Amino acid sequence: MVQSILDAISLGGLYSLAALGLGLVFGVMRLVNFAHAELITIAAYTLVLTAQFPLALSLIFTVLVTVFVALLMEFSVYRRLRGVNPAVMLIASFGLSIVLQRVYELMFGALPRSAAVAPFLRGDFKVAGLSITISSVITIVLTITILLAMGYLVEKTSLGLQLRAASADFKTARLLGVRSNRLISAAFGLSGVLAACVALILVIQNPQISPYYGLNITILSLVGIVIGGIASLRGAALGGFIVGVVLSSLNTLLGNGRVYAYSWLFILVLVILLVRPGGLLSKGSELERV
Amino acid sequence: MALLEVTNLVAGYGKVEVISDVSFTLEPGKSIGIVGPNGVGKSTLLQAIAGGIAPKGGSIIFDGKNIAGKKPEDIVRLGLSLVPEGRQIFSGLSVKENLALGLTGRRNKKGANEAILKMRELFPVLSTHENHQAGMLSGGQQQQLAIARALISEPKVLLLDEPSLGLAPTVITDVFERLQEIIGMGTAVVIVEQRANLVTSFAEKTIVIRDGKVQATLTPADAANSESLQRSYFGAGE
Repeated sequence: MVQSILDAISLGGLYSLAALGLGLVFGVMRLVNFAHAELITIAAYTLVLTAQFPLALSLIFTVLVTVFVALLMEFSVYRRLRGVNPAVMLIASFGLSIVLQRVYELMFGALPRSAAVAPFLRGDFKVAGLSITISSVITIVLTITILLAMGYLVEKTSLGLQLRAASADFKTARLLGVRSNRLISAAFGLSGVLAACVALILVIQNPQISPYYGLNITILSLVGIVIGGIASLRGAALGGFIVGVVLSSLNTLLGNGRVYAYSWLFILVLVILLVRPGGLLSKGSELERV
Repeated sequence: MALLEVTNLVAGYGKVEVISDVSFTLEPGKSIGIVGPNGVGKSTLLQAIAGGIAPKGGSIIFDGKNIAGKKPEDIVRLGLSLVPEGRQIFSGLSVKENLALGLTGRRNKKGANEAILKMRELFPVLSTHENHQAGMLSGGQQQQLAIARALISEPKVLLLDEPSLGLAPTVITDVFERLQEIIGMGTAVVIVEQRANLVTSFAEKTIVIRDGKVQATLTPADAANSESLQRSYFGAGE
């Protein structure tokens, strides 16, 4: 029971990190970056391929590689499309996603690559007679730390203020002096850092990396963003968390019926969207903007 | 030498040309009004000068440099600030945060605190509400915030797009008194207005735009003469 609750919280936290990465980019560009999945994938590959290095070194390398790919995406594709219809950007992000999957397949092969990343984090320990997995505790601690750091960055720093302003009204923010290229690059860079964090947590639990590794979590955190409210980072984080918690709980509660977990999840999503079409944290006005 | 010199400016959206030939000059510390019927391109003109849209032709010389087609974030750093139509304050952010955003456009990062203090002196109401959400302010207070936010970058030229929009008459008087103070401090001001009387009597000169071109230049003396005002506004004999 305790383990199930911890699992639910840790999966929720993981999805909220993925949703934050998507939400940051959406905020400044009105782009649902579907290729965020490939950022998670490349981070996971890097972790596995550098598993023989000391963990700290491997982590630094992973963050650098992921941020580099994120900035490259922005510079080579999205920057050229800035200001076009959001539907065009969305389709471009699908295209980019598929291209990167093929590139990964060419580079790393279609079969899963695997290595023990931070093996000491597997296994479990006992508290008051209850057995608890180390990875779920680590996930929760990591997630809380990253969420607090993100909260500080967004609420207390000048970069955060610019991100919030640009999410609300990019045109006016630029008139005040917010440098568009720099801010969008910063948002992509941060989404890369978040993708690397997500990959680290995922890889501890499942180190079998295929070219589609990041896809599932990205789709589900997109669902989270929609129910949380696409216009705010808080909404994105909350929505991601809810999806993770619900999915994990369904898997526990449904037992053999867990194949239907997704169906139940999407029924819940439908109900939430019927009651609050703009997402849980939306105010009426955000609906027309999206 | 003129601080701002707009020559044969052409601007619009997509293939539509809204402004086809507009020229005017502005000296340091002076004021100019821009009036004209609805939809004539007054806001387009300001957006083109501030970099919100790229001009299709002509030149905009500001402080000796051609700024036509530059990015808005670069133009504000050169010392030209726009208070957009409808104020466009960030309603979800606090008054303090709105002002802090104005600091991004400063050329000189020193003196930021002094600039904020100066704005609080000029607009005391902003101090009282500094931790409130900007969206909670009244229309007049929001306009003051928008002007203060634009002034914090210490521009040489302040462009205002319909500062009287949606404000009560007493509040309008108040806003224009502040503008007078701002001009007194040495900032040149360009005001776009629907209320021709108001701006013609306020600014040293006022240009009338119609059909994408400058049709007349008025002085405060013309404000009293409603007939000449109407004639230049709607065209002779119409």
